[in-house]
Amino acid sequence: MAVIVQAVNLKKTYLLGKVPVEALRGVNLKVENGDFLAILGPSGSGKSTLLNLIGALDKPTEGKMLIEGVDISTLNDNQLADLRRRVGFVFQFFNLIPRFTARENVELSMSIADMSRAERRKQAEDVLETVGLKERMNHKPAELSGGEQQRVAIARALANTPRFLLMDEPTGNIDSKTANEIVGLVKRLNEEKGVTIIMVTHDQRLATQAKRTVQMFDGVITREIVN
Amino acid sequence: MKSRDVFSYSFSAIRLRKLRAGLTTLGVVIGIAAIVALLSITQGLQDTITRQLQTGFATNTLIVSSGRGAGVSVMGGGDSGFKLFVNDTQTINKIENVSMSIAIIQRVCYVQFGGKNRTTTIVGVDFDKYASIYSSTFVAESGDIPQSPGNDTVVVGKRVSDPWKNGTLFCNVNDDVAVIWTNATARPPKNETYTGHVSAVLQEVGGFGIGPSDSAVYIPISKAESFFGTDECDMIIVKLVKDDTATIDSASKAIKDAFSNEVSVTSATAVLNILSSVFSVIQLFLGGIAAISLLVAGIGIMNIMIVSLMERTREIGILKALGMKSQTVLLVFLCESVIIGLLGAVIGIGSGWVLANVVAIVFHGGGGAFMGGNQVAGTSRMTITPVLTPTVFLGALVFGVGVSVIFALYPAWRASKLKPVEALRYE
Repeated sequence: MAVIVQAVNLKKTYLLGKVPVEALRGVNLKVENGDFLAILGPSGSGKSTLLNLIGALDKPTEGKMLIEGVDISTLNDNQLADLRRRVGFVFQFFNLIPRFTARENVELSMSIADMSRAERRKQAEDVLETVGLKERMNHKPAELSGGEQQRVAIARALANTPRFLLMDEPTGNIDSKTANEIVGLVKRLNEEKGVTIIMVTHDQRLATQAKRTVQMFDGVITREIVN
Repeated sequence: MKSRDVFSYSFSAIRLRKLRAGLTTLGVVIGIAAIVALLSITQGLQDTITRQLQTGFATNTLIVSSGRGAGVSVMGGGDSGFKLFVNDTQTINKIENVSMSIAIIQRVCYVQFGGKNRTTTIVGVDFDKYASIYSSTFVAESGDIPQSPGNDTVVVGKRVSDPWKNGTLFCNVNDDVAVIWTNATARPPKNETYTGHVSAVLQEVGGFGIGPSDSAVYIPISKAESFFGTDECDMIIVKLVKDDTATIDSASKAIKDAFSNEVSVTSATAVLNILSSVFSVIQLFLGGIAAISLLVAGIGIMNIMIVSLMERTREIGILKALGMKSQTVLLVFLCESVIIGLLGAVIGIGSGWVLANVVAIVFHGGGGAFMGGNQVAGTSRMTITPVLTPTVFLGALVFGVGVSVIFALYPAWRASKLKPVEALRYE
């Protein structure tokens, strides 16, 4: 299996006010195509920082973050933006654009990637069908439940057929019953469609659904479990 | 991102904040409307005045008057005492490029008819030559202007015949009117009177100028000399063979030389040039004042964009996380300001034009006080037709959009520079 994400002695220090905070202190990680990895850890352990680096939203202070073999430190802003189009990001707080309908939200990521109108329409319907929201696609986020909004966000992340999905606490903001549905959906995407998934969570129960789990603490990976 | 998608994205952001965007646009509308209204009115005014001067004041004519300035002899001592006489036309006629010249004697008099009095200016001229210089304005509407008039022939301006513009005539062709002049140099001052026969009423000239006037009465120059008891003239009008600058300049100089610089020579072209430069200054001044209001609108745009930037920090983070490039974010924000600027400019030009026309109508309705000097009977109304030149139209459009874009540059630049991680974390 091809390695698509590789972190080599990854370090990230940022300033909180004037105090330097070492969020990552030497992380080594490999993710292969088709993997389903859960990153587990308490808040402040650096798991979100790691996810941001994998998603090319930020650059490391030291070490290498390789996405499909390319070190993101060597890329300029435009190249990073291009890279992000091939990454599907799903956030804890959904981060949908409130004035757009579900379909328009999904189409937005495709219009950023220069896809034509007709293509966008079809693809949006397809991915919304995949997440089971085709009949609600003309509703705005405010008219959708938390679970539905997260499914729209997943559909948006899938729209550009990304190399992998990054999920930051995808069930952190929804009730447990809906959370189970979301996890079921994510698992299905991984097993049936072969989508590579990297998911950050602090929910032990959710992590057991993944193929592999890494435990983070204080900016380093302390344990790796293959389920 | 395709430009059409950038546009529709920006448009959706504006539509979300209708009231705010509307008020911002209103600022641009007011600024542009003020500029367009002021400029098109002054342009209209300039065109009207220029046109009237050109008709009443043929471009191939020069006006020669005695150098001390007509009627101002209060200065006494410094005065050379030079006077211009009717037969000085003979000297002028000998000068190169001069086709003819005529002397004018004018005095303020009364005209009496049917028990009514009107104050008016009596102008003594050679009818035939005067008509050939002012061929388009010294034209009879009724009656005839005789080529060799009798001593008592009188030609009256339209406003002398019909001073109230309602068909109630003061006098008409073939009426015998009394011309009364107060001779203030006689001791004791006394009224000189003679009876004139109205042989023609002139066409309406409108406005004002140096040439024929609606509120004057014309009598033959020989009669003026004997009636006013003088052969001193107020001015000599010179017709040149050509109206190019070189001819005007050389003839002006030759005339001044012939009278040892004791006369002043005014050319119509020179007056028009001065007038046009005065108007340029007025336009610049008024346009500048209006531009300030647009500047205020620009600051409003900047303010609103910065607020919008704060509110949409998270949205910008999302866009960047989805792979939008910084320059596209910049474009999205600039596009919003272009939409506001364009909308404001188009509405502003429209409402400025309407405003200009409303002002012109009000002005015209209440007008008439323009040239209604104390001494002059009747009034000359001036009609101003606002003129929207393509330059003003395009200028307003470019200026409106330009100001919007310039003031949006900073907020847009700040939006584009946001770091995705920080923008996403923004609450």
